[in-house]
Order: sequence, then C-alpha cells, then structure tokens
Amino acid sequence: MIELERVAKHFGDVRAVDGITLTVRPGEFFCVLGPNAAGKTTTIKMIAGLIRPDHGHVRVGGFDLVTHPIKARACLAYVPDFPFLYEKLTPWEFLRFTGQLFGMDDEAIRTGAEDLVPRFHLAEWLHKPIDGLSHGTRQRVAIASALLHDPKVFVIDEPMVGLDPHHARVVKDILRERVDRGMTVFLSTHQTSVAEEMADRVGIIHRGRLVAEGTPSELHAQAGTNGALESAFLAITDGERTATPETPPGGRA
Amino acid sequence: MNAPRSAWEGFLLLARANGLCAWRRLGAMGGRSRLTALATALFVAAYGLIAFSLFHLGLRFVMRFPGLGSLMVERLLFLLFAFLMVLLLLSNVVIAYGNLFRNREAAFLASLPVPVEAVFTWKVLEGTILASWAFVFLVAPLLAAYGVVQRVPWHFYPFALVLVALFSAIPGAFGAATAIAVARHLDRKAFQVGTLVVVAVLVAVAARGLRTEEITDEQLEARALAVVDRLLSNTRAAQSPWLPSQWLSASIQGWGEGALRTAAFYGLVLAAHSLFLGRLACSYLAGALPAAASAVHGRASPMARWQWFRRREERRRNLAGAWAGGVVDGQPARPWLPRDHLDMALRWAGLRPETRAIIAKDARMFWRDTTQWGQTVLLFGLLAGYIINLRHFSRQLDSGFWVSLVSYLNLGACALNLATLTTRFVFPQFSLEGRRVWLIGLAPMGLQRAVQVKFWTASWTTLALTVGLTVLSGGILRLGPARILYFVAATAVMTFTLNAIATGLGVLFPNLRETQPAKIVSGFGGTLCLVLSFVYIVAAVVVLALGSPWGWREEPPHPSAAAGAWLLFVLLSVLAGWLPLRLAFVRASRPGITEVR
Repeated sequence: MIELERVAKHFGDVRAVDGITLTVRPGEFFCVLGPNAAGKTTTIKMIAGLIRPDHGHVRVGGFDLVTHPIKARACLAYVPDFPFLYEKLTPWEFLRFTGQLFGMDDEAIRTGAEDLVPRFHLAEWLHKPIDGLSHGTRQRVAIASALLHDPKVFVIDEPMVGLDPHHARVVKDILRERVDRGMTVFLSTHQTSVAEEMADRVGIIHRGRLVAEGTPSELHAQAGTNGALESAFLAITDGERTATPETPPGGRA
Repeated sequence: MNAPRSAWEGFLLLARANGLCAWRRLGAMGGRSRLTALATALFVAAYGLIAFSLFHLGLRFVMRFPGLGSLMVERLLFLLFAFLMVLLLLSNVVIAYGNLFRNREAAFLASLPVPVEAVFTWKVLEGTILASWAFVFLVAPLLAAYGVVQRVPWHFYPFALVLVALFSAIPGAFGAATAIAVARHLDRKAFQVGTLVVVAVLVAVAARGLRTEEITDEQLEARALAVVDRLLSNTRAAQSPWLPSQWLSASIQGWGEGALRTAAFYGLVLAAHSLFLGRLACSYLAGALPAAASAVHGRASPMARWQWFRRREERRRNLAGAWAGGVVDGQPARPWLPRDHLDMALRWAGLRPETRAIIAKDARMFWRDTTQWGQTVLLFGLLAGYIINLRHFSRQLDSGFWVSLVSYLNLGACALNLATLTTRFVFPQFSLEGRRVWLIGLAPMGLQRAVQVKFWTASWTTLALTVGLTVLSGGILRLGPARILYFVAATAVMTFTLNAIATGLGVLFPNLRETQPAKIVSGFGGTLCLVLSFVYIVAAVVVLALGSPWGWREEPPHPSAAAGAWLLFVLLSVLAGWLPLRLAFVRASRPGITEVR
C-alpha cells in the first residue's frame, strides 16, 4: 500500500533521506523510530506528497505521488506533529470541510462523525471555535477529521503529543480497529513503547537510511538484546554511530 | 477511494471556509471591545473624510492653473497610479511568497486530494486582496474627490471600482509568478543578494529621476508654458502604453471626462490583460507549485557552483561533522563552537550578557528576515536619494525662507519614514516575544528588562540612520554647525519618542496569538501606533517650525519664543513617548501579561 523505492532527498548538501526502500502492506501497522534529525519527518512528508524525492519513487495505493498526486492523496490521510486547523471554525465545521474536500456527501460525513465524535469525546466542543480549544483537544479534532473519510493509508507523525493517557488509549484502539479492517498505518514516534505495543513491524531510520526493520523480536535478534524495544533501538543506533565513524578531515581532536 | 473534487468545487470550499473564518474574526473584534471597534470605525471614517477633503482641495487648486489645470491633474493621476503599481508589485511578491510557501494552510492543503489549481488560485486571490486593500483604501477618497471635481455621472463610481479590481489582478499574477520563480531558483542568501541589487538599482533610478533642471527667473516669467512642458516631460514614462497603470488612469479619466469610447477601450485592454494573466497564473503557474514548494524545503545554494563557496561549506561541514559524533584519533571529537564575533563586539561596549544576548538575537533575526532590512534600506535609501538631490535646488537655497522650509520638511520626512519602520518592526516585537515567554519572560532578567533592552536597541540603531540623514540634509542645505546641531537634537528626541511609542503600545496592545508581524501590525494597536506617531510628528514639526530660532521673516523671533517652542516640543515628546513607555514597563512587570486570551 505504501512503497518507497530507493528514495533519496537532499537538503542542500545534507542527505536527509538516503536511498530508502520499503514496502508497507495493506492492513499493516508500521512504526518508524529514529533519533532526532534522522530523516523520519522528511520520509513522512514525501509519503504525504508535501515534498518530492530527489531520487526514487513513492507510491501510495499504487499511485505515484509525483505523477498521480490527487489519486494517491485521495486514499491517504496525514496528520503532522502540529496539525493545521482553521482557528475560527468549530470542530464540526472543520470535520465537514475536510469530508467535503475528500468528496464525501453530507450523509457520509454525518455517519462518520456520529462514530468518531463520541469516541474522541468531542461532543462538548463540537460547536465551539477551535481557537478556544486545548492542544490535546485540537489534536483529537485533527485525528478525527483525518479518519473521517475512512482512508486506506493513515500517516501520522507523533500522534501522542499533547494527548492524555485516556485519549492516547482511544487513538491506539481506533487505529488498531481500522488496521484490522484493512487500513495501513505509517506512524512516526520517539516513544519506543508505542511502537512495541502497536506495530506489526518497526523500522529504524538513522542518518537518512533505514538501518533496521522487522517485528520487535526480529529487531532484538538483530541487535542482540532482549527486554524492552528501547534497548534494541539504542543498540542499533549506537552501533550505527560507532560502526561508521565519520572522522572529519578537518575535524579537531 | 473517494472521488477527488474539481478545481472549482475545491476553490469554493476553501473560499467558504476562509470567508467564514474572516467573518467570525471580524465579529469577535467587535464583540471583544466595543471601544476598540468604535475607535477603528471612527478612524476609518475620519481618514476617509480628511483624505477626501485634502484630495478635493488639491485637485481644485491644481485645476485653477489657467490652461494647464486639466493637463497637470491628468499627469498627476498617471504618476500616482504608476508609483502605486510599483508598490503593489513589491507587496504582492512578498505576500505571495509567504502565502504559498510559508503558510500552514497551504501545507495542510497540499496533503489533501484538492486540485493544485484550487489551492493556488485561492492563495493567490487571498494574497492579492491582502496586498491591495491599502491601495483601495488610498485611491478611494482620491477617486471620489476626482469625481466631485469633474462632476462625473453616478456610473463613474461603480465603473472605477471594477477597473481598480481588474487592475489589482495584474500585480497579483506578477507577484505569484515571481514568488514561484524565487522559490524554485533562489535560496535565502541568493534572494538577499538579489534584493540588495534590486534596491540599489531602484535607489539609483530614483536618485537620477529626482534630479532637477535649472530654471531662470526670465524663463519662469516669459516662457512659463515651455518650462511646464519641460517639467512634465519627466513624467512621460508614467504614460507608457505598456503600463497597466496607464490603462487604468486613461480609462478612469476618459470616463470622468465623458470620453466613453476611450474609457471603454482602455477598460477592455485592462480587462483582457487581467483575465489573460489571471488565467495563465491559475493554470500554468499552478502546475509549478508542487515542485516550487518542494524546492523551498531542499535545495543547494546557487553559489555552490563557485569553488571558494564549496570549500568553505566543506570545511564547515567537516567541523560540524566532528560535533555530530565523529571520532578523531580514537577520541570523541570536541564540538565545533565557533566564536561569536557579534557578541565580542557588544562586550567591548560594556553590555551585560543578557543584554548582549537579546541584541545579538534581534540583530540576527533582522538580518535573516529580508523583508525587514529590505524595507529599511528602500525607505531610507529613497530619502537619502532625495536629500542628495537637494543640491540641485541651487537658486532656492539662496533664500532663507526656502532653506528653513526644506530643512523642517526634511525633518518631518525623516521622522515619517522612521514612524513607518517603528510601527512595522518595533511595535510587533513584544507580541512575538510574548509567544516565547518561556525563554525570555522566565529568565532572571524578566520581561520588563527585555522591553527596556528592545527600546534602547531600536532607538540607538535607528538614531544612526536618522542623525546621518539629518547631518547630510544640513550639509547640503549649508545650514552651519549651530543649525545642524539644532536639527540633530530634534531628530534625536523624535527618534527616541517614536521608538517609545512603538515599544510602549506594542506592550499595551499585544497580539499573542499571531505569529506574522505584518498581521500583528494590522490590528488596532498597530493602527493606533501609526496614527499617534504621525500626529506627534506633525505637531512636533509645526511647533519647532513656528518657534524657529532663525525666523521666517527678516527678523528672528524673540529668544524666549524659540525657547518656549523647544520646551513645548520636549513636553510633547515626553507626553507622547514617555507615558506609553512607562505604562508598558509597569505592565511588563505584572505577572500573567503574556497569557493568551
């Protein structure tokens, strides 16, 4: 459902993403982990079609993001770490607006909203302007509106930021349900516990490269660790760091 | 898979959502403070009335010139619309770039299955409206006054409105095309260098264009028509048939004078170009948006083709690489922490570390924000060009009256320029800092001290500009040391006062929700700051001029009158500047000031 084929993106002279090849199957929950500035968000932005790869191809639902952007985005939902919301609309108006952008009719929007609004506990805020809502409530509005059109591919960057434990649980449950019904999830996070709990497969991006991927137990096997996924993550990223020392020609000792 | 919307449907959805937001924002403004809404309405009404009266008086005065009135009004309108078109082009480029590539809504929409034509058309339309409202605000009273003076029929007004709307579309399309080209091909450094070159060229052209011709008394008395013709010949560029401003002026004037065929012809030329360029922008240019947006987020510098630049970047990268976890000789590399030359320079001035930190941060942000220094250079560069050209007023500079008049007008022009900059850049400083309250507001120095540092930094920096221009003006007018010193002192007082007004009102009327300085300035506080600054400047210059120690007639005024005028000027400055600044310091020291309501 999501295919990355030798994808590379350079920011000037910096290789943000360096030849990633990855396929996420339909109905799979894929989590991507990585240190800061590893290239996770750049990868996600290329999957969402916000930036174009310098090399390689990104396909969503079988459609190339560069050659068939509209068809690819029609089966995609993307929630960034700080989602944009129209401050002066109410959550209900925002839900309707995004539903209409995806070509949903009123009936379908209502049906979708009747399912999502109670689960995200948005009823109380549904008709109040978004600019008066807390960060967590905004995050819930953004996730609900992204799920409204029943996307085939759901891409989300740091979904738990600002959510209390109760609503973090709600998001996890809904995503798991949707995945069981065939939705593909591509989730980027720093929380190894989230990846461990939710993911069918985990990928670790480091310095722009996909340095490891597999189930949590496969990653442990690769890293020679056991216990929490965090230990495998630290071993793999630390190993990458020491295995490929970038001794700078002009570096100072 | 859901069916994607057509471009038109997508556009309508975006227009409806944004229209609803704008309507509610307007309603919230009125609901939050009736006083603010009333003051804004009064200000708009007073502006409209005063501007109409002044334009009306001016047009009637010019029209009274025997045989030349109509011709001069015609040339003035051509010139005015040509200048306004240049300003519109600049503002459209800046706003279109921000709206397309630095806008969260645009990024949000880019991930949705909305046709790119819909997003592009909406953002360009939004940008054009934002860039053009001031133009409409300015020309509306002028057109009304022109209509009254010319005794035009009623249908002149709706026709003029349509023409102005059509005209605004052309700079809008140009702004979008330039923004796409800049985003596609230039990085920040290259854009800054390009802006500097454009500004330098504009200043050079203005300095050349403002050069005057020498005219003798005999020419003025015996050959007035020939002299006027020579003067007007300098304005012919504004009548080039290639300029959209010419089509607008010609059509408006044609309709006003009853020449409906001419008016219709130029109106149709304008409409044809507006529609063609608008259509081109929304189809061909829209297709270039995704690639341009992608380029903004990842691009090598165009300077990378030069060897020295590549070597420098490689050295930096190597040093930074050491910091990023490199190992040298088996030992962890020391981080690369280059010396901060700006901080070292400020340390020599004996400033405390927290003061140095704020000054260095503000200086860097000023330099890295091209719009800030670009507008500063443009405004003061044009003023410098004008002042340098004063030397050509050789005959007038022999008359004491003219020297006095020009010197006080220069003082006013310099202060008006400064007021534009303080309102645009100093006023929003606190609102922007308030959003970063966790950083500066919670530091031991506190917000009050931060406000003080900002006031002094802005004042001393702008003082260098204003005093420099005052000395230049005095030298060219051959004023003599005592008189130059007098104007330097007046300029200094006005510089501190204008900075105090902007800093003070910025704290008293903060907008902690907005991240864009331009939008903070466009609120009530920013408008009040600009109006108060202008009122202060007019009052101060009039008081100083009336009590000029060098007099206006043969005999200079009594020394006590001059001293009284200076005292009144200082009192006025204290009242206008010290009071809001003092209130701001008190307010900044209160807890909870940066709470977003």
